[in-house]
Amino acid sequence: MQSAHALQPAFSAGKEYLTFTLGEESYGMDILKVQEIRGYDAVTRIANAPDFLKGVINLRGVIVPIVDLRIKFGLGRVVYDEFTVVIILNVLGRVVGIVVDGVSDVIALTPEQIRPAPEFGAALDTRHITGLGTAGEQMIILIEIEQLMGSADMQLMEAAAN
Amino acid sequence: MSVMEHKPGGLAEVGRFNAVFFEESAEHLADMERLLLSLDPSSPDQESLNAIFRAAHSIKGGAGVFGFDDMARVTHHLESLLDHLRNRELSPTADLVDLVLQSGDVLAMQLAGHRDGAPVDGQAVQDIFTRLEAALSACEPEHPTAQPTALRVETSTPLARRGYHIDFHPSGNILQRGIRLENLFRELAELGELSVTAELGAAAELRTLDPELCHTRWQLRLVSAAAEQEIREIFEFVALDSELDIRVEEAQTAPQPAVTTSVEAPPDLLGRRAYDRDESAPGAFGRRGAEATEASLRVGVAKVDQLVNQVGELVITQSMLAQFAEQLDPVQFEVLHRGLVQLERNTRDLQASIMSIRLVPIGGIFSRFPRLVRDLAAKLGKDVELRTIGEGTELDKGLIEKIIDPLTHLVRNSLDHGIEAPRERAATGKNPVGTITLKASQVGGRILIEVGDDGAGLNREKILRKAAERGLASSDNLSDEEVWQLIFAPGFSTAEAVTDLSGRGVGMDVVLKNVQAIGGRVQVASRPGAGTVFSLSLPLTLAILDGLSVQVGAEKFIIPLNVILESFQPSCADLKQIKGETQVVQVRGDYLPVLPLHRFFGIEKARTQAKEGILVLVDTEGEKAALLVDELLGQHQVVIKSLETNYRKVEGTAGATILGDGKVALILDVGAVVHLDKNRSLQH
Repeated sequence: MQSAHALQPAFSAGKEYLTFTLGEESYGMDILKVQEIRGYDAVTRIANAPDFLKGVINLRGVIVPIVDLRIKFGLGRVVYDEFTVVIILNVLGRVVGIVVDGVSDVIALTPEQIRPAPEFGAALDTRHITGLGTAGEQMIILIEIEQLMGSADMQLMEAAAN
Repeated sequence: MSVMEHKPGGLAEVGRFNAVFFEESAEHLADMERLLLSLDPSSPDQESLNAIFRAAHSIKGGAGVFGFDDMARVTHHLESLLDHLRNRELSPTADLVDLVLQSGDVLAMQLAGHRDGAPVDGQAVQDIFTRLEAALSACEPEHPTAQPTALRVETSTPLARRGYHIDFHPSGNILQRGIRLENLFRELAELGELSVTAELGAAAELRTLDPELCHTRWQLRLVSAAAEQEIREIFEFVALDSELDIRVEEAQTAPQPAVTTSVEAPPDLLGRRAYDRDESAPGAFGRRGAEATEASLRVGVAKVDQLVNQVGELVITQSMLAQFAEQLDPVQFEVLHRGLVQLERNTRDLQASIMSIRLVPIGGIFSRFPRLVRDLAAKLGKDVELRTIGEGTELDKGLIEKIIDPLTHLVRNSLDHGIEAPRERAATGKNPVGTITLKASQVGGRILIEVGDDGAGLNREKILRKAAERGLASSDNLSDEEVWQLIFAPGFSTAEAVTDLSGRGVGMDVVLKNVQAIGGRVQVASRPGAGTVFSLSLPLTLAILDGLSVQVGAEKFIIPLNVILESFQPSCADLKQIKGETQVVQVRGDYLPVLPLHRFFGIEKARTQAKEGILVLVDTEGEKAALLVDELLGQHQVVIKSLETNYRKVEGTAGATILGDGKVALILDVGAVVHLDKNRSLQH
């Protein structure tokens, strides 16, 4: 899937987004921040961590924290089965996994296709939303994933912990 | 832990450390060039100026340690110049930057000369030296450069060529000290025409001969315009005066050699230079000799880490296969079973080999110091004995490389400022021979390296006075510990005179910076008259740990083996209740608090009753406790991985590791667990 997209002309003005769902809402994030997509493995729990931090996994020798965005934003049904998807991100020089309801597609959006986001009641803080994209009938909430994962309430970074 | 006196290392050993010096110096030179080129002459960045200075300082230090005094001479002047630069007494004009860059080129050439035997353009060395001196005297006319090792170069009035007869009878251990005679002779040959005669008269019979000792006495004849002092300086660090006899010949008659080795004359300066322009660029120091390639192969740490991770994956796959095969009929699948047993053995061997790439005993660095101590002590007129303890302590390669510089600074400081002169020592009733102790050990989750001396100790008044002079925030009410911390401020130095060794005030801030960069801490303990001990406490982040894996509920933890005293299943009679909540266990008369790990880590479905579980008795920093776990699983060597790489520090853990089944297990920081648990129960 990724290699087919890599063949797209580099000069196309649009950026590519990986879209995923949380509950009823569709979200999109910069595909370049995505390292890989995998199933949900058993995690090692971390004591006294917030409930959305499921724990850490071993990803080919690298210890990676797993955040369940469904719990964090109170969206979707929190079950862990063979269909549970983990998106491994490369943000802020770190490797972090997020659990979402499902991964849908990779879409390219030109700047014209992106509208500024109004103040609305999404589950996510609007600070992390860069705009709204339209792909056919669907509206996609574009998020700045790096900023979101680095934010203090994610409690992933040392500075944020204090 | 073994206490041993220094023994001279083997030749190969020394060669290896030379190689390290070459690599490091090449890196420092490359850094220097990069920083210089990015320097903005109108508003130079102070941090860059400091970094350039430190790079030159490190090369000088290393060159001094290994006896490459030609490099040390050039860097000494270079460093003085850079010192003016960073103190803003000079501004980095284009000319000055050029001069520093060219000095770097010359150093690179000298480095290539030492490493590969590449020809060194002696004229270029002298030119740069003269120019550095000129630049220095231009900015400090009141004190001409009277540095102890300064080489006076007579370029204007060359002496007439004279014949020298040099009788050189080195001590037997000269080769073990890492001195390459051929380089020495080549250096001499650059002064003029040299013929070398080897006399083997003193050598023992072949069956009693120690091949590591030098038995040869050398008769050298040099026709050169160089002054005798110049020749003596080539032998500096190599030969004591007693081993060297230089006579000026009246008539130029060649001696009758028994065996004559002719050494190449210096390269023709007018012709094509053997030292090609392209090769003088830092990072391309000429061809590598075959010897250097054989001695060591430098591989990026990332590559080794990748190997470690990949072999870890392999172990996991292998144990998965083994588990699967257990369900198969051993008779029908005999070949498969045999193959899997073989696979397991091969995998373990491979893992052990790969792990061992990273771990090096600290003795390797310790053995760099006897030479340093000996040379410096001789220079300073002090008598110093070096003791090394715990050379066997294994340390990650990455850490080893990074503590060399800080340790070198500390040892130099101890020698220069710590140990008093023999007469002073005798006057205070101490043994006139001072002792410097290097000690390494593993303490809890950290590696502790101590550099101690039995010298005068830190001088509180002097430090405070100096701090006030430098405008550092201080007051007389500071505790001793706080006063000692002042010496880590950048540019702080109490030495009265700038010497070749130390006293520029770069030492301690570099030490602190380098140690902190690898997650370590530096502590100072000092008593007036009794001496000073600097303790470097380094994390185990990269090291391997022996641990006991335990089960608590559904989770597994690793308890470092070095804090465990014993583990046992308690009987009801040994368990006592205090205030209804806290449990204690009686072990041979002692009452120890029971610390249930499930409570600490908030784990459900664990055994909550001490009598049903297992108690692991731990001792950390003198405090004992009994950790309650469900089960003991086994003893492992685990690779410590940082949780902070992608996450953050987790209370009560010293990192994590990956178990045989591919799952992550947290490694307990027992000291922190005991401490935190105590605080929590106090709050309740």
